Amino acid sequence: MKLNRNSIIYAAVFTFVVCIVFVVILAIANQVTISRVNANKKIESQTAILKAFGLADGSTPASEIDSKYTQFITEKTVDKATAYIATIDGQPYIGIKLTMPGLWGPITAVLVTDPKGTVIRGFEVVDQQETPGLGGRISEPWFSAQFKGKQTLPDGTIAFAQGSGKGNLDPGNGTVDAITGASRTSDFVKALVNRELALARQIGGTL
Amino acid sequence: MSAPSKVFKDGLWYNNPIFVQVLGICSTLAVTNNLRNTLIMVLGVTFATSMGSLTLSALRELIPRKVRMIVQVLVLSFYVIIIDIVLRAYQPAISKQLGPYVGLIITNCILMGRAEAFAASNPPGLAFLDGLANGLGYGWVLLVIAAIREFLGFGSLLGFKIVGDGFTPWTIMVMAPSAFFLLAIALWIANNHKAKAEAAKKTAAPGAPAGASGAPAPQKS
Repeated sequence: MKLNRNSIIYAAVFTFVVCIVFVVILAIANQVTISRVNANKKIESQTAILKAFGLADGSTPASEIDSKYTQFITEKTVDKATAYIATIDGQPYIGIKLTMPGLWGPITAVLVTDPKGTVIRGFEVVDQQETPGLGGRISEPWFSAQFKGKQTLPDGTIAFAQGSGKGNLDPGNGTVDAITGASRTSDFVKALVNRELALARQIGGTL
Repeated sequence: MSAPSKVFKDGLWYNNPIFVQVLGICSTLAVTNNLRNTLIMVLGVTFATSMGSLTLSALRELIPRKVRMIVQVLVLSFYVIIIDIVLRAYQPAISKQLGPYVGLIITNCILMGRAEAFAASNPPGLAFLDGLANGLGYGWVLLVIAAIREFLGFGSLLGFKIVGDGFTPWTIMVMAPSAFFLLAIALWIANNHKAKAEAAKKTAAPGAPAGASGAPAPQKS
């Protein structure tokens, strides 16, 4: 019997078979790599949290991240927010990971502070879609370095202001440099940081 | 000129997807602000278009005309998803940086364009070559634009700082508008060059047949 390639039945069967074949291959490929993908995601998030706690830096190998994380960090859920708690050199610290709106998409960042929310230990952006080279610079090391050891203002917030362009590293003034050409991103990050500080104080009070 | 080398030269220059077919412009504008992302994008497109063309050409006798577009989309998206899966599993940092762009390779008109214009009516080997040549033809143009944008916008190439701290980056170069300027300038230069080459051919042609009667007739592009 000769196949009539113009028949509707042939077209339907052909499309069906082709779809099945390719989709099955994709499903297998996905299944084979899924554990790896999830492991990557977990490491990425743990690295950001450890960095904010000052327990890891960019050169820490991925193999050490997981063991360090389980060694130092305790997770605690209070009112839907997850707090990360660690004791370093006898001092308790509290980390808050939060996602809030940015200019082009959500910004996720971790902020670590003492339980009273008066001195910040570290700040690390986990995920953002800001303009590369402008708002995107919030992921750069100089930006997060400004938060290290920074004392909050008397009202418990951090201010963003125009700076020298090299980052505001004075721990006492409660102010960090905003980013030129990215005022909106700076505003969003300011809101995120201050919300995290408020949450840290709230959860820190229950410890 | 033998067919394979013609196919290759067409993809790289005479029928370059960007300069002549003006396809794949969206990704040219979107991913060229740094060289590394562009490189991955180019590799992705080249892989998807060459493998897609190969597969579709191998299936071309079997595909009913009525559903050929559906099958083309299916096969091309299959390769795109494979790229996405591989990047997510083995190059998470790059996958994260490229974000949605990898999935958007499927919307790159070069893929469907070559599948429909070439792979549907040529044998698999040639179709693969055509896909490869078009991917590379697209690629070199993107890489040139990306190199200019990254150098002026960040003062670096492939992430390595090239110029000192005294350099003031041209912020506009990393934003969308500069892609429009640079692409337009590139198109202008390329088409100017082509027009000149053709004009030169025309003026040279009248004298040529008299002396060299064995010379091949000028090829129709």
